[in-house]
Amino acid sequence: MAEDHREWLDHLDQRSRAKQEEFLGKIASRLRRPRLTQKPRQPYRGAPDFWNSYDGSEDDNLQRFTRNFEEAGGYVIRADSLQEAGRFMTEKALELQAKRILRHDRPALADLGLESSLPEAKVQVWNWNREASEDWKARAAEADIGIIMADYAVAYTGSIAILSGPDKGRSVSLLPAVLFAVIPIASLVTRLGEVLTAFDRTGREGLPAGIHFISGPSRSADIENDLTIGVHGPGIVYAVLVSG
Amino acid sequence: MSAGKNSKRTVQERAGLALNDDFLRKAVRFTTERLRSGKRKAAEEHGNWDEWRERGRQIRLHTIAHLDYYLGLFADQARVNGVHVHFADTAEEAVSLALEIASKHAAATVVKSKSMVTEEIHLNRALESAGIEAVETDLGEYIIQRAGETPSHIIIPAIHKNRYQIADLLSEDAGERLAPETAILAGYVRKKLREKFLAADIGVTGCNFAIAETGSIVLFENEGNARMVTTLPKTQISFMGMERIIPSWSDLEVMATLLPRSATGQKLTVYMSGITGPKRSGDADGPEEMHVIVLDNGRSLQLGDPEFQELLNCIRCGACLNACPVYRHIGGHAYGGTYSGPIGAVLTPALNKNVAEWDDIAGASSLCGACYEACPVKIPLHDMLVSLRRRKVERGYGDARETIGMKAYGSLMSRSKRYHGFLRLGRLGQKLIVRNGGITLKLGPLKGWNRYRVAPGLAAEPFRERYQTLEAELRQGLQELPPEIAERMRKRIGSREKSAGGEEHGGRSPGVAGSSGSTLES
Amino acid sequence: MFITCVSDAVYPRVGETMMRLLARYGILLDFPKLQTCCGQPAYNSGYWAEAKAAARTILAAFADSDFVVSPSGSCTYMLHHYEELFKDEPEGREQARQLRHKTFEFTQFLVQVLGITDVGARFPHKITYHPSCHGSRLLGVKDEPMELLRHVKELEFVPLPFAEDCCGFGGTFAVKMPDISGAMVAEKVDHLRETEAEVLVGLDMACLMNIAGHLRYRNEPVRVMHLAELLYEGVVLA
Repeated sequence: MAEDHREWLDHLDQRSRAKQEEFLGKIASRLRRPRLTQKPRQPYRGAPDFWNSYDGSEDDNLQRFTRNFEEAGGYVIRADSLQEAGRFMTEKALELQAKRILRHDRPALADLGLESSLPEAKVQVWNWNREASEDWKARAAEADIGIIMADYAVAYTGSIAILSGPDKGRSVSLLPAVLFAVIPIASLVTRLGEVLTAFDRTGREGLPAGIHFISGPSRSADIENDLTIGVHGPGIVYAVLVSG
Repeated sequence: MSAGKNSKRTVQERAGLALNDDFLRKAVRFTTERLRSGKRKAAEEHGNWDEWRERGRQIRLHTIAHLDYYLGLFADQARVNGVHVHFADTAEEAVSLALEIASKHAAATVVKSKSMVTEEIHLNRALESAGIEAVETDLGEYIIQRAGETPSHIIIPAIHKNRYQIADLLSEDAGERLAPETAILAGYVRKKLREKFLAADIGVTGCNFAIAETGSIVLFENEGNARMVTTLPKTQISFMGMERIIPSWSDLEVMATLLPRSATGQKLTVYMSGITGPKRSGDADGPEEMHVIVLDNGRSLQLGDPEFQELLNCIRCGACLNACPVYRHIGGHAYGGTYSGPIGAVLTPALNKNVAEWDDIAGASSLCGACYEACPVKIPLHDMLVSLRRRKVERGYGDARETIGMKAYGSLMSRSKRYHGFLRLGRLGQKLIVRNGGITLKLGPLKGWNRYRVAPGLAAEPFRERYQTLEAELRQGLQELPPEIAERMRKRIGSREKSAGGEEHGGRSPGVAGSSGSTLES
Repeated sequence: MFITCVSDAVYPRVGETMMRLLARYGILLDFPKLQTCCGQPAYNSGYWAEAKAAARTILAAFADSDFVVSPSGSCTYMLHHYEELFKDEPEGREQARQLRHKTFEFTQFLVQVLGITDVGARFPHKITYHPSCHGSRLLGVKDEPMELLRHVKELEFVPLPFAEDCCGFGGTFAVKMPDISGAMVAEKVDHLRETEAEVLVGLDMACLMNIAGHLRYRNEPVRVMHLAELLYEGVVLA
């Protein structure tokens, strides 16, 4: 970026560091004690103890996830393999007459075989060439279907979790009207806390720029409390649970 | 902290307008009932709700009590992530920072996701004055932005508009006639805003929770517009009230359990996004530059104040609005500030500290406590309203007539003989105005009361006059106290003497310096 | 007996029926004359000095009592604020603390202290119940009145829709914000009409006075009673 822009940002940061001292000092003085520099003991951290021992079996989790996701207006499909999942998606894509499909750059998603099963459609892979010149956001805006592979899924809340990365753009699960989320059953957990505590364990360095929990199709009830689906994000969302 | 155009009218007058607006009342009632019952169902289904509330309360109390540490940690971590963190004492500073950033980027268009804090600082107005197009992208916010209005509910901002009004607004926006059907209206907004999302220079968000330990911010939403705003534009500015912070991701589980259920009855909002810095070098989307502006604007005033520090626990879920019978009848605009409902009734005077100007908002409550019962982090709003009223009186802004009345009350009630004498006088005097045991006269304090009721007359014989005869009658042939009952009573008295704390028989201890003594120390 | 100013001045029968009911168990409540008002109207409006003036009469009146019983949840709850009011007076604060531990709302006293849930009443009417806000939410009185009503023979109980919604009294709120208060009591009475109950029963005469006033204004023939009155009438009928 331009030299003077960089300079301006540095200048802002300098100003802000000085301001920070003042700001935090004011807090300490209002609380009538000196500034805290050590991490305080946190007697209540995270969910209540009784909650942390709640664990469902795989079957429980599958059922619960399905129920919750469907209640929110999403669709849940079970597949025994990626190939089977691919067949299902091919069928759907033909039904929807999808012209453009965009998927994350993951080997497992390549195994869906959509490039070959949908010759008429343009199947693209997010950021596959790591070319700065390609406008991937625009590609996502043009796509009819977005395909991702979830990093986690949570049964209790009926959620899919996806972490961003160079091969896993956030736009893929956001812009197209239809979303297919492939979920390896092994990544399905019972409680939201199981995923969240993992983030605490990896710490700041381990986190991507965007962590997204998706619990159904986009919705709003802002107009006379009348529910409408697909306001900004995808309106048709398939959670494809794949075993093996 | 401008008083806004609403300060010319009192809450009473604005409430009067609301009470006369049939559609508004029906809409508010329908919405609050839907959300209230949703919350109740969700809380019941989840179970152990009170334990979760207590947990939420403790986490928030702890964070606020150590706010300097956690904010400092957040800022340091966020900076390492590449975020430019700024601190603003006032709304003006926050706005000025935002304008500076916008001008450095020669921004023409800003897309915004729903953020009460940006409403509080009137950000849009400032952007527009600087010639920058500021587009609200939440469906409800977009609608009221077209109407030039402010939100009337924290969660459902356009609750006061019916579909015909919305169709009119959006048709004007579209330049063509749109049918008053939800799917069509929402479809139009989706298409229109797509273009804006893709072309905007800057994305602006609020912050539901900042995670101190990793320097992340978390956003809760159902539509996807906050995701759009944090994925597509090249620059992102997130505004954060200084109290909107928790220590860790595991603490987020508690907030994620309490907030969506309390707000709308959902297990989780459709999207919950954790943003940790701008895009990484290999990412092909996400902002290149990210700013977080931490705002005080009167919040630090609550710190160290035993009666109001707990106010900072608030997670802006709106459950208190849905529970409040007053809100249900008058809607959000009657409160005259950015925040409405019970939380608004306390927050607005607390943040603005000009007690006299926002005087009557604290009076618009029957102190029923429904807000406290609904609050997922147990903020004693009903106690805070009384504290506000007391401060107003202490500072000499009490209503003159009420003060005179209260002085008379105090004098009367300080001596039982005086009080009894007053009862006798009243009995005599009311002979002139009581008809069939009731008073319909609309005079003095009865003016408002008798607009909707028939007031009762004073009893011919007050209890204190009746007692002697009654006692004598009952004493004759008084039954023996059954031994089991006597035993129970003895046990009670006995245990009282033993334990210093005595027995508790239900309910909560009233709040001052924190109801459980842990407001400031945890 | 902590009679509360509303029952003292307007509804003395509530105090009387309480006494008569308790007398059947050999309990004869005394009446310390020093008491005037709990101070709630002044306290809620922020006039704490005046509230204290009234509160002092309560502290003095019950200084030596073992148990204090009141026909109002909100007045009983008001006593919980006394420690706060007298926080700068060690003696007053201690008296207040003791008072809080020995004061009970009427149904709390019957059920929790005395262990009585069946007074042997018969009341062949259709009734519904309004749980006053302070009593139910803040003092925690929820099960006691229901227990007592459950044991009344031939009583037909209809739940009040949105029962927990405030009736709109709020003390000075009804006087200072009459239109909002009026809207709230109108809504309460609308819900009441849905039940088609003959009798509305409650634990707090302030709320009941408010609702009864609006019922009368609308010429609705529903009878409004304190639970003590209902139980006593039921005992006489049995």
